[in-house]
Amino acid sequence: MTDQPDRARNWLDRIRKLPIDRPMRIMNVCGGHERTIAMAGLRSALPPQVQLIAGPGCPVCICPEEDIHDAIFLSLRAGVTVVAFGDMLRVPANLPKSQPRTLDQARAAGGHVRPIASPTDAIRIARDRPDQQIVFFAAGFETTTAPVAGMLAHELPPNLSILLSARLTWPAVAMLLDSDSPGFDGLIAPGHVAAVMGPEEWRFVSQRHGLASAIAGFSPDGLLSALHAVIMQLLEGRAALENRYERVVRPGGNPTARRLIDEMLDITEANWRGIGTIARSGFALKPHLVDRDARRKFEIESDSGRKRAGEMPVGCDCAKVVLGKIKPDQCRLYAKACTPREPVGPCMVSDEGACHIWWASGVRTQSSEPAAAA
Amino acid sequence: MNIVGEKTIRLAHGNGGRLMRELIDRVFARHFSELGPDKTLDASPFSLPTGVAITSVDAFTVQPLEFPGGDIGTLAVNGTVNDLAVSGARPHFLTLSAILEEGLEIAVLDRVVASLAAEARRTGVKIIAGDTKVVPRGHGGGIYFTTTGIGVRNTGVTLGLDRIQVGDAILVSGPIGDHGIAVMLARQEFDLHGNIRSDCAPVIDLAEAAAALGAHFMRDPTRGGLAGVVNEIASATGFGLRLDETCVPIRDEVRGVCEILGYDPYTLACEGRVVAIVAQTTAREVLAAWRDLAGGESAEIVGTVTNPPARVVLATSAGGERILPELEDEPLPRIC
Repeated sequence: MTDQPDRARNWLDRIRKLPIDRPMRIMNVCGGHERTIAMAGLRSALPPQVQLIAGPGCPVCICPEEDIHDAIFLSLRAGVTVVAFGDMLRVPANLPKSQPRTLDQARAAGGHVRPIASPTDAIRIARDRPDQQIVFFAAGFETTTAPVAGMLAHELPPNLSILLSARLTWPAVAMLLDSDSPGFDGLIAPGHVAAVMGPEEWRFVSQRHGLASAIAGFSPDGLLSALHAVIMQLLEGRAALENRYERVVRPGGNPTARRLIDEMLDITEANWRGIGTIARSGFALKPHLVDRDARRKFEIESDSGRKRAGEMPVGCDCAKVVLGKIKPDQCRLYAKACTPREPVGPCMVSDEGACHIWWASGVRTQSSEPAAAA
Repeated sequence: MNIVGEKTIRLAHGNGGRLMRELIDRVFARHFSELGPDKTLDASPFSLPTGVAITSVDAFTVQPLEFPGGDIGTLAVNGTVNDLAVSGARPHFLTLSAILEEGLEIAVLDRVVASLAAEARRTGVKIIAGDTKVVPRGHGGGIYFTTTGIGVRNTGVTLGLDRIQVGDAILVSGPIGDHGIAVMLARQEFDLHGNIRSDCAPVIDLAEAAAALGAHFMRDPTRGGLAGVVNEIASATGFGLRLDETCVPIRDEVRGVCEILGYDPYTLACEGRVVAIVAQTTAREVLAAWRDLAGGESAEIVGTVTNPPARVVLATSAGGERILPELEDEPLPRIC
């Protein structure tokens, strides 16, 4: 532990000594990576040609607006309690100001909402309250989804159902790479996602698109090591997937977690808030789990005619921030109308959101640099 | 324990009658003895050594009432005494107002008052006035204490924000964040356990040692933590402050809990630390003096005062830098 700062400085020195002669845009797709970069102040320490871009790394930020809307209305029904990870409680849906717009506000208005820290909390609450229908609003990427699949493999209390809003990470990166302007030259692949699903999922970045890539852990030295690998590939004109988190990321990922996901969940096309539909990017409960599906149980039908259904809040650039098209402080609302105390968009709510992370690392003003045309 | 014929506080313990007199006699007066006021008087006379008198008031509402390394009693003494100490004063007297909640176990009150009395003896202050009220169940957190401290500024000491100069050194007397994490773990809201004890202690000796060596300014980093103190200095003086993360003492356990729950250790409260701004030329001397004193063994020089703009820059251990902001909101634990 104690020599970690030394290792980080060592990697930093090695990167600084490289003959970097052109801009290198390197994207990360994990809130944990962005947090490490911001809190260790790595952007200020790297050569100016190396640009670190926060990409789609926050499941709370892209959780469909309709799902939040549905969770709010479920929590206000008599006899129903919605349980969700803490971050989800403050994400706003596009509802009139006269109505509760977040689960937190629904709770204040008499709705039944409880924050939980893990799926086992949801089971415990369902057992403790057999008189209530417990709906677990499960939003997250693969790392959160694997424990949900594990939970579904067990005998569950009959009053527990799932409002599943789970997403896969790689399809968003694939969508960016298939677009006309991906906006990055190299990728830092997410260590925890790769640990669960296997590093192989990320090979397409180098093999199909010819981009430099490396899987990184979450300490500053681990991240700098992966960054060094990506920069070296770019300098040498190579494209590969290097695993710089070997201690945790093994070939094939975690076989138990993958088996449970395969047995319990289907992969489907899915909606990403403010971004749209992405093929093969969502999880859905397998047909045999239909009794666990809160959407069926409570006959939720989304009203697509509702004002701004599915969209980001008015004026909010979260979708551009999530895709790495603009930096958080280039949003028109950043640090003005939108702060962690009074967040407008989900990126300022969630701990994994780039805006929240930048704010916590001390960025308190808007950028003077105009946003590039996206 | 059955000290006053009852196990719990009743509303009648605040009604001015026999029960209240018994509670005061058998809990407060018993532990205070020679420290306490003359019960036969409604108001207490006192006299101070010559000099500039200094006063400070603070209310204490900590939950839980008892935590590893202290309780609301030690906090009520040290919180106020330390405010006087970092202002360059020697504390002499305290007043104590206690608001008790109906249903409070008298055994808990007895323990907390005993440790309050012990801490007052340790710091050399007398309690010259007191008051007790009882509020109905559900209207208070068991015990609320308010203490007012009265002291006299030590001769020759001139501390002030106006004495801070570019180039001054920033010192911290010990590891930061211990109190914040100890209390958070004691609440048992999370399935986390640790051996972290609150740093709750008087800083009189530390403050007097630094003041005697000509310190320019001192503060105890309580609510808002180290980040709060340095940001306050930046905005009040207009100078910048630069902290070196590798020099800031933080225990591994505190760092670990912060990582799990998403807290920033720089914003966590300390209750027995001093932040001092001293001339660069005397920084080593103050550091050596502190390290010889109880509670100052792990003191460090953590940064310097720099030219404007007024902001705090943290040089990170990884070799980067970022702005260290002050605490914005109630620090919420990261849940997922």
